[in-house]
Amino acid sequence: MTLRRSFLIMTGFLLAGATAAYAQIPDAPQIDFPYAGNRTGVWIVAQLHILFAAFILGAPIFAVVSEWIGYKNQDPKYDRLAKEVIKVTVILYSMTALTGGLFIFVLLATYPDFTTWLIKHFFLIFAIIYPLLFILETIILYTYFYSWDSMKGGKKARHIALGVLLNIVGTVTLFAIDGPTSFMNTPAKAVEGLSLVEYIQTAGLWEKMANFSWMPLNLHRLVGNVTFGGFIAGLIAAYMYMGSKTDEDRSYYDWMGFVGNMIGVGALLLLPFMGYLLAYELCDYDASICPYMMADQLSMFFEMQGAMVGLVFLASNYYIWLSMRRIQGVEQVRMSGMVMIAVLLIPAVMGLAWKLFPPPEWQSLLFLAALVVLPPILSRLPGLRFTISAFTMIKVGFLMIVVADAIWMTPHGFVATQAMATEHNELPSWASELALMPAKNAAAFTLVFLTIVNYILYNRAIRQGTIIWGKIDFASQFVLIFLAFSAIWTMGLMGTVRSLTRKYFHVYNLVPDFTTEAFTPTLTYSAWWITGVTIVFFAVVSFAIMVTLRPGSGQKSSAPQGVPVPAGGK
Amino acid sequence: MAEQSLTKSILKKGVIGIVVGVILVVVARATHFPEVFQFMFFLYAMLGALVFILLDAPAMPRLEGAKAVVGLIVFYGLLSGAYIGGASILPQYDPEIEKGKIDKVLKRRKAMTKQGKADELIARAKELNDRAAYLEKQLASLGGGAKVVVEEAAAPAAASGDLVALGKEQWELQECYNCHKLFGQGGKKRGPVLDNIGNLMTPEQLREKILDPKSWMAEGFDKPYKKGKMPDKYKDLMFDEEIDALVAFLATLKDASVNTPKPIKMK
Repeated sequence: MTLRRSFLIMTGFLLAGATAAYAQIPDAPQIDFPYAGNRTGVWIVAQLHILFAAFILGAPIFAVVSEWIGYKNQDPKYDRLAKEVIKVTVILYSMTALTGGLFIFVLLATYPDFTTWLIKHFFLIFAIIYPLLFILETIILYTYFYSWDSMKGGKKARHIALGVLLNIVGTVTLFAIDGPTSFMNTPAKAVEGLSLVEYIQTAGLWEKMANFSWMPLNLHRLVGNVTFGGFIAGLIAAYMYMGSKTDEDRSYYDWMGFVGNMIGVGALLLLPFMGYLLAYELCDYDASICPYMMADQLSMFFEMQGAMVGLVFLASNYYIWLSMRRIQGVEQVRMSGMVMIAVLLIPAVMGLAWKLFPPPEWQSLLFLAALVVLPPILSRLPGLRFTISAFTMIKVGFLMIVVADAIWMTPHGFVATQAMATEHNELPSWASELALMPAKNAAAFTLVFLTIVNYILYNRAIRQGTIIWGKIDFASQFVLIFLAFSAIWTMGLMGTVRSLTRKYFHVYNLVPDFTTEAFTPTLTYSAWWITGVTIVFFAVVSFAIMVTLRPGSGQKSSAPQGVPVPAGGK
Repeated sequence: MAEQSLTKSILKKGVIGIVVGVILVVVARATHFPEVFQFMFFLYAMLGALVFILLDAPAMPRLEGAKAVVGLIVFYGLLSGAYIGGASILPQYDPEIEKGKIDKVLKRRKAMTKQGKADELIARAKELNDRAAYLEKQLASLGGGAKVVVEEAAAPAAASGDLVALGKEQWELQECYNCHKLFGQGGKKRGPVLDNIGNLMTPEQLREKILDPKSWMAEGFDKPYKKGKMPDKYKDLMFDEEIDALVAFLATLKDASVNTPKPIKMK
């Protein structure tokens, strides 16, 4: 009995000891991201990951469109362009995975509670759907690239179909991961009788995915990625042009830069409207986000955005100008003077129209239609048939781009928060309309309209004149680099703004951020990090271009180039 | 030849830019734009001049080899400098202002978390420790007839502050001023001016409006009401005591000289 009792006591002690030992797993140490701090650490890694992800999603869209055009027109230049872009993409794909993994590690180490919370709410996405899509995308990307040479001729259509499939999977992947991302901005609106916390605890995955800002974010990122792909193709072309040793290569990369810029700018035209849609949905979700963005802590971030967008539009139109200057016979290209008058009137007319009939009211479309349709009609009337040269038109256009930039950049007051605005730094009351949305929309529309007019002129010039590829002003290559750098910097800035709109919450209004870093950083601080991340991204991309395409190595072009050809000729 | 024409172009367009800039400044001054805007208009004129100089600039010579690489690095350096510099010359929001606010807004929520409770215990233990050390020091210095002085702990600020002052603080913390003008400040016409709301709504009605923004509508604010512009979030974000304080503050707003729109019961 005593033995039995002793045995039981001993077993009890052993069990208690083991349990205590098990329970006493020492706490993990607190992590402080070196130098930058936890919040900025996550910011750096996340932004790098997003830039690489945008590359590997944007470049294949650009590539498959290019491959398809080449196949349709039987033009090998487009096929080479597509293949070169995909070559760089394959190299950078690993960087996307690497930074993605790093992002999760850093997030789990620095914000363990919140990260676990988010993963649990989107477990199906994080643990199954996203990894599966990523693996599928990897398989398709590598198959697409490595089958390029073997799937020629009769198999080309199937190869293009593979490229389309790659883009579909890529887009679905983007949409899937945008779910948790947008959820952090606009989790949900509580239903009647339930608090937000109660609602989220019972909401299904789809209800959390399909939140207010999900689809606007999807569209914004999708269009942004196409812009990204176009400008990166322009960057590749600029590097290769600079390193080209032969006229043949110079001709090809001059042409590649032109195509990259055209696609980039084409998508860029939609971006202001996509951004507006996203901002509209954020404000619709919670009207207090709007003043925080436009009038309070983030107002100067938007001032900087205005400057950046203005510069990007100026540069893209300057590239068109430089492209046109080398077209022989461009002097004969003319346009109706009525278009010039319409261009001069746009900011005022559309500003007034949107003031009287704010979007989405349809009446403002009448003004828009009048500005677009009336010039060609009026120019047919006797007495109004005066024309101006393409160069005059473009110069007037540049003048109006500067005016539009000025309107976009005019704030209500030059203060960090409009709550501090006084008569010494705010617009006089009679001019306050300049700072409101109708004026900003009119400015954005002017930039878009002018860019379209310039492309119409460019098209006329290449139809009527003779273009010599490879003879473009060397400054144009710096313009291409400028466009890529500035567009990516602006992406970084707006990504920062989107994250900051959560204010002191990890998930807006739902999961507070109790750390000491949950405040709005200054614009200067943000600009340093955005620039740093952009430089690191450019260094890696530049390295990838050097390794894969080796500028100056004199690769054979598959199409005869370097001689004058009729513009638009294949 | 090309250099000469570029210099000529810079001079000509530079002068035009300055003339246009000066005209803009004069007009802006006459129409009461503050100096910062006048300066901005001058910069736009110079930007226009720069654009037109670039448009007519002669073609740039090719850069090859090391020159091209150096050119690229310098170009990236210039861009980086320009963007950081550009961002830095704009007015900067001082994070310290926001930090204090965030601490106040999240204080009670944080206290309810495990971490918050642990922090509170640590703070109390530290306070007790300090008091014990203080008493020990006093005891050690005890001479004949010396008296131990025990300092009373300061009463919590919230307990001593009056409800209306706390309500005014909630007005600031919840940033109501972003949409509602009060005492001539804030608002920007997003929501109704509230200087006389205390004469138009009872405390119960004010509470009802804060907790359910669709329950009342300000006359003339049909569009914002229909769009649900007033956020339906305060019932989730504010504690009862905070709402009581805000209501108490709003109920004191009785300036009949200000035209506060009439509230209309909707639900």
